[in-house]
Amino acid sequence: MFPKKSPKVTIDYTKCGEKGQMDPRDCAKCLRVCDPAIFILHESPNMPIDPVDPKYWRITPVWLSLCNMCMKCVKVCPLGAITVSR
Amino acid sequence: MCDWCMKHGAGGKWYMNAKNYSNELAEAINAQEYLKEQWKAFEMVYIRRIMGITSIDLGYKLQLPIIGRILRWSAERMIHSEGKHRNPVRADGHFGQVIPLEEAKIILGNLAAEPIIENYCMCRWMQRGIKEACCINFGLLSGVIEKLSRFIPKDTKYRLDRDEAIAHIEEHNKKGYVATVWFQPVPYINAICSCENPECGGLRLRNDFGLHTVYKGEYVAEVDPDRCQACGMCVTKCQFGVLRLVQSLKRVIVDINKCFGCGVCRHACKYDAIKLVPRENYPALRGVY
Ligand code: SF4
Ligand code: SF4
Ligand code: SF4
Ligand code: SF4
Ligand code: SF4
Repeated sequence: MFPKKSPKVTIDYTKCGEKGQMDPRDCAKCLRVCDPAIFILHESPNMPIDPVDPKYWRITPVWLSLCNMCMKCVKVCPLGAITVSR
Repeated sequence: MCDWCMKHGAGGKWYMNAKNYSNELAEAINAQEYLKEQWKAFEMVYIRRIMGITSIDLGYKLQLPIIGRILRWSAERMIHSEGKHRNPVRADGHFGQVIPLEEAKIILGNLAAEPIIENYCMCRWMQRGIKEACCINFGLLSGVIEKLSRFIPKDTKYRLDRDEAIAHIEEHNKKGYVATVWFQPVPYINAICSCENPECGGLRLRNDFGLHTVYKGEYVAEVDPDRCQACGMCVTKCQFGVLRLVQSLKRVIVDINKCFGCGVCRHACKYDAIKLVPRENYPALRGVY
């Protein structure tokens, strides 16, 4: 049996993240609207690391197999940065 | 008693063995270095490549025919590693168990090494962007976390004496947060957390992906059919969908196979109808954690 493919969830980091207009820590709407909590907030990779108080953050959709494609994150994002597809 | 009690319990439960909390043990296994490395970029733990693989879409990866089985096997090995060269950034040797409030109080009152601090929960921050001070850490780990300002609550007292720590764990537990005690790294114990499901990374890996990052507790819930008034309040507290109100029976039933023995359901019951009993009372649950 072939494993079931997970939904694809993407975030446009030119809008939200270390290079975008939004610091995800100030919004966090997608983190909170998603019942299965598939998103993870973390320090941006490939940026200068500040172990005490990191300045650059982004969100990665991590637990993709649990996404039920309810589209609540797409609707709640003020920047239209999230896509969800098969 | 589980395998970890056999190994590190000195005849009892692993988390009731005072030796596992001691600074001597921490030094012997060089925990300071491990914890410093682990905590400085903890938020990267699911994103980082571990043997070329990140946790992104773990659910799919674990289903892959051969790779999935190798992945599961190596993940379990990492989680439980007692080796000399444990890798802190992938949290080798870091796992825990659910405990009832009574035992959490004994640990905080007697066993936990000072200083005791209460810092922001890492998991709720990563999963929901919420800062809530409900992680109680102790011993060497307190000193490591204190230096990382992002985990330290502002404007509140974060260093706790034993009585304060006991009062706080009681408050979290009554709210419905599940108490868990953690090896970090095994067999050194330095944290009692107050977790929610699925926000807690440990409970997530356990419940959604079957990895043994958190073991079920030594107890399970039992409902007294004569006392139960079928009010349903306990059902709203359980984080694991164990309790069900059966209207025709006029009482709550317990799916003990799913029960973590956290005991938070008890706090909701005005009729004193729920108690925790040892897991071993049920032959089918013996050795099943
Ligand atoms: S579509 Fe729904 S389940 Fe999927 S990530 Fe968005 S909010 Fe979560
Ligand atoms: S909802 Fe959109 S803008 Fe807000 S944190 Fe999520 S991705 Fe960023
Ligand atoms: S283990 Fe529990 S309390 Fe500790 S950081 Fe995770 S959710 Fe928070
Ligand atoms: S809270 Fe107590 S009385 Fe109410 S349903 Fe649960 S066990 Fe029964
Ligand atoms: S039924 Fe079991 S898992 Fe659920 S709250 Fe009660 S003790 Fe905890």
